[in-house]
Amino acid sequence: MPWFLHLALRQLFPPGKRFPAFATVSILGVGLGVASLLVVQTVMNGFGEEHRLRIRESFGDCQVTGAATLEQPEALAKRLAARPEVASAALYAEGPALARQGDFSGIAQVRGIDPADPNQPARKYVHGGTFDDLDDGRIILGVGLARALRVRVGDRLEIWSPAMAERAEKGKAPLPAEFEVSAVILTGFAEVDNAAALIPLRRFRELWNLGPRAHGLTLRLKDPARAVETAGLLRASNPGLRFRPWQDFKKDFLEAIRFEKTMLFFLMFIITLVASFSIGSTLFSAVIRRSREVGVLASLGAARLQVVALFGLQGLLIGALGTFLGFVLTWTILAFRDAILSGINACFGDGDMMANIYQFSKVPLHYDASDFVIAAAFTLLTTAIAGLVPALWAAGRKPSEAMRDA
Amino acid sequence: MPDLVLQARGLAKSFASPAGPLPVLTDVSLEVFAGESVSIRGSSGSGKTTLLQQLGGLDQPDAGEVRILAPGAGLVAPRTSLGRGVGFVFQNYQLMPELTALENVALAARIAGTPELSADAAARALLTQVGLGTRLEHLPAKLSGGECQRVAIARALVNRPSVILADEPTGNLDERTGVEIMDLLLGVVADRGAALVLVTHSREFAERAGRRLVLSGGVLSPA
Repeated sequence: MPWFLHLALRQLFPPGKRFPAFATVSILGVGLGVASLLVVQTVMNGFGEEHRLRIRESFGDCQVTGAATLEQPEALAKRLAARPEVASAALYAEGPALARQGDFSGIAQVRGIDPADPNQPARKYVHGGTFDDLDDGRIILGVGLARALRVRVGDRLEIWSPAMAERAEKGKAPLPAEFEVSAVILTGFAEVDNAAALIPLRRFRELWNLGPRAHGLTLRLKDPARAVETAGLLRASNPGLRFRPWQDFKKDFLEAIRFEKTMLFFLMFIITLVASFSIGSTLFSAVIRRSREVGVLASLGAARLQVVALFGLQGLLIGALGTFLGFVLTWTILAFRDAILSGINACFGDGDMMANIYQFSKVPLHYDASDFVIAAAFTLLTTAIAGLVPALWAAGRKPSEAMRDA
Repeated sequence: MPDLVLQARGLAKSFASPAGPLPVLTDVSLEVFAGESVSIRGSSGSGKTTLLQQLGGLDQPDAGEVRILAPGAGLVAPRTSLGRGVGFVFQNYQLMPELTALENVALAARIAGTPELSADAAARALLTQVGLGTRLEHLPAKLSGGECQRVAIARALVNRPSVILADEPTGNLDERTGVEIMDLLLGVVADRGAALVLVTHSREFAERAGRRLVLSGGVLSPA
């Protein structure tokens, strides 16, 4: 070990002192700064990932529509599912309808789905009832719509489709379709929860007079992250169709999450910056206090660069240990995040905000290695600079002055 | 004739003051030979420490030049021979408070480029020679003033310099310890064939040097 590293370690951690004040406070300051930065980033990543997943599950990885309804959707689905980028393709049909229960009514966005599809995303968001009970006489409602209609699982309601209005125009008696509520779903997206009504595709085609047609397909891709590129490829080989990657849905929302994350990074980085400044100022006082030692080192033949290394390394060591502590704190805080949130909610009398507002069962998180690398790099850079400034000052002094001023 | 280990010619140094430049050294010339001991006495503020700093390369003179014999390099500027050609002993010991006695001495050797193990071995041998063989792992705070000065002497000698510059080495010690330290300093310096330039207030200690000088009015003259 070079002598200046040995001495730097000894000056930071003098023998016989378990928690030397300067080192302990500085490392804690940096550690807390790094932890604040990473906890916020990781939770923001979690929110972003969770929302992206929900968008994909609600709208599919890629939605395929045509200028009109798809005439031979089964064949198209088969053809697209055979593509190497596509994992599966499912038909859908959707349209608005009037839902009514007694004196209560609302506009439902009815969607025809395949109840036998084991990958049907709605299965994950069942909030009451059973998905598998869905059949031609049953319907699944978004929780908001169910509330508006005052219905629960097992209650009955009527659906009036536009095709029924056509029947009335033709002088035939329009009869509403009756359904029993088999389940309610809660996705966290208000526009879905307040309007969604799921029925079997076969039944939808009947009520909308669609025949064998469908409104579109939802594709599950093997690599959802490359949905934009895949959509481009599919578009090129299917010119008459429109391919909409999941990133196009809720674009502003996703952009807002990304922007929030960037802003929070800079806000939280200020904490690390403040910690680095405090290291700089404390190290400056330490260097002034050690002026005589700087002179003695010069008298022993220490080169200026070695004196710079001695004090600069102290800043860097604090940064490295603080960053490591920050990583440990981040992991610890995030491991106990739900207990911490419950404690905060209990203190401030808030309910379970995660469940009530975001419909998350726990605080979401997503570790992103690049956040850790960036936080470590920024912290090491700022603490190195914080150590380097007093180090350069010390090394620039005449040994005789250093020894006299101390 | 013994080797010339220190040569100073026409040294001048002044400091800025509100009343204008304050000359401290006006024309100092000095030659010291291997194995020789030279004492420099002078009243407070006469410039003894300033002279020692010019001789050791801790400060640059306004005029004149200093050359010190560095092992294997001949007579060189003191700044380039620091730690190897010249060793310092200060009044306040100036030990690193976080390092043990052994580490303080070994530090000087390591700064001079000696590998860690050899530096430790040399430091251990020297500390044993100055009577601190049982205090190797003690921090300066756990040592008496006399013991600290012994560590400082060992540190000054560890790189086998050709000249030791001692600035009031007994100034912080009681009379008895001061005598012990002077005995030790003169003894080990002679043992190693180094030269000693001793700055002191004490007439008694100054008398023990082979050559005695007085610094007054910015010039050196025989006592």
